Amino acid sequence: MRHLLAATTAVLCLATAGCALSGAAPPRAGGPALRVSEWVERGDAQRRASTRMVLQGLDVSEYGREAEAVAGFERAIQVDPSNPLAYLAYARHEAFHGDPRRALAFLDKAEATFGRSAQGMGAEPHLLGIRGVAMKRLRRAGGDALVDDARREATVWSDGRLDAAELR
Amino acid sequence: MGGAVATQRNRSAGRRRTARRGRASPGSRGAKGRGGRRGTPRRRSIARSFWRVTGLLLFGLGVVGGFVTARLVVQMDAIVTERFEGRLFRVPSKVLSAPTILYPGLDWKQIDLRGTLRRLGYREAPSAQGLALGRYAWRPGRLTLHRRPFDHPSRAEPARLISLRLEGGIISEIRDVQTRREVGAVLLEPELVGSYYGPDHEQRELVKLADVPPHLIAAILSVEDQRFREHGGIDWRRIGGALLANLRAGGIAQGGSTLTQQLAKNFFLTPERKLWRKIQEATMAVIMEARYDKDLILEAYLNEIYMGQRGGTAIHGVGEAAHFYFGHGVRDLAVHESALLAALIQSPNALSPHRQPDRARKRRDLVLQLMREQGRIGEGAYQRAVAKPLRVAAVTPEPREGRYFLDALQRQLPEFYDTATLSTEGLQIYSTLDLRLQRAASAALTQELGRLEKAHASLAPQGGEQLQGCIVALRPQTGEVLALVGGRSYAKSQFDRCTQARRPAGSVFKPFVYLAALESGVLTLGDWIDDAPLEVAVPGGSWKPRNFDRKFHGRVPARTALEKSYNVAAARLGQRVGIDRVVKTARALGIRSPLPRVPSLAIGAADLSPLEVARAYATLANGGIRPRIRTFEDVVEPAGGTVERQPIGFDRVIDAGTAYLATSLLQGVVDRGTAASIRRRGFTGAIAGKTGTSNDYKDAWFVGFTPELVVAVWVGFDTPRNLRLASSSLALPVWARFMKEVTGGHVRGDFLRPPEVVELEIEPETGALALAGCPERRREFYLRGTEPAQTCPEWGRPPRRDGDGGSGGFFDRFFDGLFGEP
Repeated sequence: MRHLLAATTAVLCLATAGCALSGAAPPRAGGPALRVSEWVERGDAQRRASTRMVLQGLDVSEYGREAEAVAGFERAIQVDPSNPLAYLAYARHEAFHGDPRRALAFLDKAEATFGRSAQGMGAEPHLLGIRGVAMKRLRRAGGDALVDDARREATVWSDGRLDAAELR
Repeated sequence: MGGAVATQRNRSAGRRRTARRGRASPGSRGAKGRGGRRGTPRRRSIARSFWRVTGLLLFGLGVVGGFVTARLVVQMDAIVTERFEGRLFRVPSKVLSAPTILYPGLDWKQIDLRGTLRRLGYREAPSAQGLALGRYAWRPGRLTLHRRPFDHPSRAEPARLISLRLEGGIISEIRDVQTRREVGAVLLEPELVGSYYGPDHEQRELVKLADVPPHLIAAILSVEDQRFREHGGIDWRRIGGALLANLRAGGIAQGGSTLTQQLAKNFFLTPERKLWRKIQEATMAVIMEARYDKDLILEAYLNEIYMGQRGGTAIHGVGEAAHFYFGHGVRDLAVHESALLAALIQSPNALSPHRQPDRARKRRDLVLQLMREQGRIGEGAYQRAVAKPLRVAAVTPEPREGRYFLDALQRQLPEFYDTATLSTEGLQIYSTLDLRLQRAASAALTQELGRLEKAHASLAPQGGEQLQGCIVALRPQTGEVLALVGGRSYAKSQFDRCTQARRPAGSVFKPFVYLAALESGVLTLGDWIDDAPLEVAVPGGSWKPRNFDRKFHGRVPARTALEKSYNVAAARLGQRVGIDRVVKTARALGIRSPLPRVPSLAIGAADLSPLEVARAYATLANGGIRPRIRTFEDVVEPAGGTVERQPIGFDRVIDAGTAYLATSLLQGVVDRGTAASIRRRGFTGAIAGKTGTSNDYKDAWFVGFTPELVVAVWVGFDTPRNLRLASSSLALPVWARFMKEVTGGHVRGDFLRPPEVVELEIEPETGALALAGCPERRREFYLRGTEPAQTCPEWGRPPRRDGDGGSGGFFDRFFDGLFGEP
């Protein structure tokens, strides 16, 4: 019991200190989620160029030019292979317009490249929602629940979809 | 009809006989008078027989000749029809490189921007004012470029005038000159990697007549066939003129062939100047004109005509010629450029603007003059065109270093794309090859192998066999092949040692054993392995592995065992994990070659191809996600549609944490182990890798990777022979030279540590968690839940491991210590 009390106190202290130091609170439930345009000026030159290509891909995706969008996402990956936004945008494309199996693979890669920053960047709802959509298309159990989670986490998922403009 | 002709012939014969009789009468009388009545009937009979036979012969010859002529005409018609109504041209498919992408922050010197522009046929202009398409102006600190448009079904780029601000070696800003807006990135057109030629080794880009500027047609017609629109395949006036000119000159000074005749000659006949060939040519020209309209014939001519030579490749057609001579498409030709192309048709090599600029200009000006005289251009256009200097794009020989890649790409294409298809269908294959890396790889391999041969007598050629090697570079996230050189010289040997050869892997296989051990929980990075004598029972005896230095090193940290590439430690670990498990891990990483289930597999007793080894390491670099090898993005048919696509693809095969731990081990190889010479060469940043030397030093490997690039190098002889050197002296220098060229020695980024990996301080000797008061410590990575149970100093509890994978045990002990529970 004494251990439990001590551990709980320490964990709470550490969490409070961590939040205060980082200044980046996790997104509120139903709050804002990641938008690629907010990250276009961040990172080194390769990352910025790559993120601009992701934006261009999302732009043409808005007009239904999916082949061009994919070309943009692929170029973004080639310019900066560790840009998680490129994998996320590609996963969104595959989940809604392409092959849901590929969507899961890209999502996996996006999660790996986001690493610990996924929550801070507000990517969590998208990761959940896109996975849910892909799983629903594959008729796998749990897809709906994931989309519901995304809905709860970010208002942009309220209709159970993530349009290119919404990720942009 | 036949009867009427026969009757007509009989009547004619009768008339001829009557006439002969009439003419013979005086003679006959004379003969009689000279006293020979006896000879007269005989003579008559002989004459009758002679004329009868002659007549019959002539008749027969006429019939046969007519039949033969008719048959020949029918045959020629069939030949013409077959060609025109079947495939008119066989166009070799082209392989294009990945495009160069320019963006702010890019080191333009490192990517050799000037060289890239030159190879793409861009020409430097003295000023940025009124910069024409395909030109650039380079002033201190500023590059203005009028980029050409680029056609592609999904990645088309319009022509664009852009301005790049250059600060030092860096592009600091890109702006669109017209809109004055900043641009995030600009793509340059892909470069030609090579083509799949047929036996003729001809290259052409097919053009439609509608895409050809009228002034090019005017230029060609003015000098080659000014009455093309009027004649029926043969221009009798021109033939007459040519005959007179030739008589005056006393030899062949002028030809009288029309465009149609030239086309007939090029399509169906040999170039020899013989009467029979000329008759065939004229006949075929008439057939073509009778059957097809002028525009079709003209379009075929424009695509067929020989226009020069790029090394061993013949340039055919105005489309290809426009690219070759001016670096842009036929649609963008100016009047003076069209005149030059028309001028070249007579003798493309003797009038080559690259080698004979004065002669080429003289003939170009003659064409312009003819155009003016024939009213095809006005005086103003003539004056402007004739004043233009003769400017042509630099000759860019087809890069030879890409041939191994072309072969590898063909093997990756579906079976439908066989050699015949690729050499005739005119496909555009957009590949993943980065020509800058490819050139660097080719140079690194040939230069280093040459250097090694000179430096070590054991590597000198024997019996005509040279030291060989190969290098392949992949982007780990996408599996894209960025560079591939399968040997020292494609001209001497087309065998690709990176994709077609399987060679004993030696120590480059060991990381798979360590990975299997990490995956199965047999090993943590803080553990130690016994490098003491080992004997494993095998069918027919026992196997006793030895280290390269012939020593045993006793109990060693797992890191050291891999960093120093100890065989016995790896073999012992293989035994602990189980060979089946090792095979399973290797398969997951993408190894497809047969793997013998023997104890020695743990130290690399398997023949692998460098490409599959590169992919396996790429899986580690990619955090356990195995990429699919990708050599091309898509295949586009001449009509512009995408007929094949190879999307980026990957599968998670190893969990991210375990892949990170294995990568960390391999970073140690570069930092402290057998590949430490990399650091001594000045490389900084995240680099991991493994040397590999097979039994008896017959194969030398080095596979090194950064977060963005995996490069595998193999060095050895095709007929295995003792190299007498370790891989760190053979394959590693090739890798280092290549990487120095492409990265400048500074590696970008880091291997991403996944959340399930924790970094702790441990006591090196025992692997115990180092707490305050522990005398020695070093940092080490653990998968969450596998952290050491033991602590240093000892907290008085018996060591235990967290078998359930949770982290409660660690916290439990931590707070035990903190709050003083005994």
